Amino acid sequence: MEAEEILEELAERGEFIVIGRGVRRFDALDKALGRAKFTADYVERDALVVKVVRSSLPHALIKGINIDEALKIPGVVAVLTAGDIPGENQIGYALPDQPFLNDVKVHYVGDPIALVCAENEEAAFKGVEAVEIDYEELQAVYTIDEALSEDAPRIHGGEDNIAVTTRVRKGDIEEGFSKAEAIVEDTYETPYQEHMYIEPEAAYAIPEGHDKVTVIGTMQSPFLVREKVAGILGWNLNQVRVIQALTGGAFGGKDDMGPLVCAKAALAAVKLGRPAALILDRDESAAYSVKRYPARIRYRSGADAEGRMTAAEVDITVDCGAYANRAPFWLWRMTAHAAGPYEVEAVHVDGRAVYTNKVFGGSFRGFGDVAMHFAVESQMDMLAEKLGLDPLEFRLRNVLRPGSRTTTNQLLDHSVGIEECLRGVAEASDWWNRRGEVKRIEGKLRGLGVACAHHGISTSRGAPDWSAASLILNEDGTFTYRTGICELGQGSQFGHAKIVAEILGAPLESIRVEGPDTDSTPNARPTHGSRGLMLGGSAAADAALRLRGRMVKVASEMLGCDEGDVELKDGRAYDRRRPENSVSFRELAREMYIRGVSPAAYGFYAPPRRYFDPETGLGVAYPVYTFAATVAEVEVNPETGEVKVVEVWPSMDVGRAIDPLLIEGQIHGAIAQGLGFALTENLIVEEGRVLNPNFKDYVIPSSMDMPRVSDVIIVEKPYRHSAFGAKGVGEPAIISIVSAIANAVYHATGIRFRTLPITAERLYRALRGEKP
Amino acid sequence: MMLRFKLNGEWIECEAEHNETLLDLLREKLGVKSVKRGCNVGECGACTVLLDGRPVNSCLLLAPLVEGRSVETLEGLRDKPIMRELIEAFVEDGAIQCGFCTPGMLISAYSLLSRNPKPSEGEVRRAIAGNLCRCTGYVNIVKAILDAAERLRGED
Repeated sequence: MEAEEILEELAERGEFIVIGRGVRRFDALDKALGRAKFTADYVERDALVVKVVRSSLPHALIKGINIDEALKIPGVVAVLTAGDIPGENQIGYALPDQPFLNDVKVHYVGDPIALVCAENEEAAFKGVEAVEIDYEELQAVYTIDEALSEDAPRIHGGEDNIAVTTRVRKGDIEEGFSKAEAIVEDTYETPYQEHMYIEPEAAYAIPEGHDKVTVIGTMQSPFLVREKVAGILGWNLNQVRVIQALTGGAFGGKDDMGPLVCAKAALAAVKLGRPAALILDRDESAAYSVKRYPARIRYRSGADAEGRMTAAEVDITVDCGAYANRAPFWLWRMTAHAAGPYEVEAVHVDGRAVYTNKVFGGSFRGFGDVAMHFAVESQMDMLAEKLGLDPLEFRLRNVLRPGSRTTTNQLLDHSVGIEECLRGVAEASDWWNRRGEVKRIEGKLRGLGVACAHHGISTSRGAPDWSAASLILNEDGTFTYRTGICELGQGSQFGHAKIVAEILGAPLESIRVEGPDTDSTPNARPTHGSRGLMLGGSAAADAALRLRGRMVKVASEMLGCDEGDVELKDGRAYDRRRPENSVSFRELAREMYIRGVSPAAYGFYAPPRRYFDPETGLGVAYPVYTFAATVAEVEVNPETGEVKVVEVWPSMDVGRAIDPLLIEGQIHGAIAQGLGFALTENLIVEEGRVLNPNFKDYVIPSSMDMPRVSDVIIVEKPYRHSAFGAKGVGEPAIISIVSAIANAVYHATGIRFRTLPITAERLYRALRGEKP
Repeated sequence: MMLRFKLNGEWIECEAEHNETLLDLLREKLGVKSVKRGCNVGECGACTVLLDGRPVNSCLLLAPLVEGRSVETLEGLRDKPIMRELIEAFVEDGAIQCGFCTPGMLISAYSLLSRNPKPSEGEVRRAIAGNLCRCTGYVNIVKAILDAAERLRGED
């Protein structure tokens, strides 16, 4: 049987063994017992402490670096600068614009210049203080407009400060607008968001002999870390072993920060021949690590008298900060999702990402889609109002359906569940009865808002994507599964194990997952883009299907029956026609080893090939999309301007729910992060300096801020080309909650905010007539 | 200086610097690794321990100040009935994602249930307000603490 047929047969059984059921995830107990090991827990007491000497100016030439005084401090072992790098002094992700240690020029406050390596933390701190940098200050650029002005200093040379541009030309935009009954135009701005994972970035490097190094660290892409560490050291890939430790929250940030911290620890360990650890302090992490890219979106859209969208014209500018990092990918994602989860005939998009002398942006859950949907969903509300339609009804008339075409003219032929999501939250929240008029309860204003989201899974623009995994049947009938997909809290590895268990009929507890170690796990590519389960899990399915074929063959010979009659269930192989005739996996395994039938399988998965034309921005941008809709109810205190989110009704089309509890967890967490982004998380950056790099002044939601969260409505529209039809969940969860809250605030107050966050102070002022 | 205090029920003696925090003493010298360093300035709660039965941020406490006092961490509490029930409920209810805030969260929850066997949802939320979590949105954590309380009361 072909792999796809087997999966189909399993999927059609109607009843799964573990898929779709809430089963205890196997990493939870060690975490609850305090036995789970994070990077800092591996560090031995005699390891060198590494601290980073950072630029104190946003834009300056480096005239000299004096390390003499630092070296006199007792306990300081060495101070490493660019000259100590054996490989290439370059660690840019998308573009080669980012020196690893700066010795020519600094581009933002916090840019790394040197590494102080010391016997203890105190000496390291003193060493950092004692390094003297001689700067020649340059004019700095702080805003998008400054960056784009003709006389702006060029941060990375070249003709201008533009790192990358994008465009989409779909349909006749003039004709689209001429058909419109209502046209709305506005400009939206979204700010930085800091990840604020509770575990700060960390790396621990151990030299192995003279020509190898092991690096244990916080990360999302072990093989990217290996590539970057090898590049800095000037070594081959097989001289660097990267182990991903359990990672205490990541949300995209540790995808970008992983290579940066790991390469620093590795350089120190290799140069000094001793284990070395770099653990960022909280203020360092909050001020200098990557953030959600700020963006400005000019949006003009129109709909006809029947309430059908006719045209959208979108202009996007992303503020990269000092380095491009992921900006090309971020900008393309925004561009390809610019029309939202709606069918719009004519769409024109122009995008650019510009450099400024501020902390650089990077990956963050939802990528550019949070900002993009904030603009889209505000526009949808405003168009509905102009047409005299209910905003939810207006969305229902326009949502993507099977047969619809996206922003990039991609035809969606299946796995499109946004309509069901929207109807689900409408019913659950009693929208049609409760939206009505704004209510006042004890002097407070209540409002109900809705928003939709879509998010392409895997890489943008049809860039090739693939994943791999390995599976071994051990002599005792248990399995060892290896994946390069990281455990960051989301539980993808557990999802893989469930897929393997389902395909092999193996008890879940007989499958042991070994996480990323570049010396032994296959390259599953990064744990980002919500691809960990869909791509990583499909590679797991491929490995399991290959092994299953061999297990079934040997079992049929042992049982004396046809291969088609072998059923694998509960750790045994049965003859379907005579169920009393069976062998255990232990017996089966032993037989396979004796006969020389390979007990190991390498699984590989690539989604179907895609076509995308970057000139027109048209084509198959992503293999498949996850869809979500959210209704939020807020209560505004007009005396203080505070917004309290009272209740949230979430829904998502996940393709197939491999584990409902994991999905619920992703959605709950994203509601908290989205709530923070919409209302309280306000990173203050003045003249390139982050003024509030701590939990006290950069306010992430606490247990007191969380609303009631209604049961998650899970819609299942399976994707044809992934294991059991699963689609990614982690990122789509954060997109619609932000706009649902903003729209609910408008419903409660009549004030539309076009910039975030809607802090109490801003709303207080707006309620008193100031421009929001 | 020499320091004598009760760690997880047993009196111990160890060397401590005058400017060393309890967090660093526990993690670096005594190998008590369930206590996590998230911010080191008393804002995230990942380093919460019990000091004479009350939850405190161990990063804010200078080690010499625990002289003669009792310090309890997850290592010493995990076999106590209330903590066992909490751990079970956290695992069962999906209250754990990355797990970094979990030990501190459990200490605060343990302290609450030790004082108040029948807390309201609001009291649970307040009890863990000093323990930040960036993964779960707290929903299943609050549920787990309420479930554990219920089971401890025998109202399963």
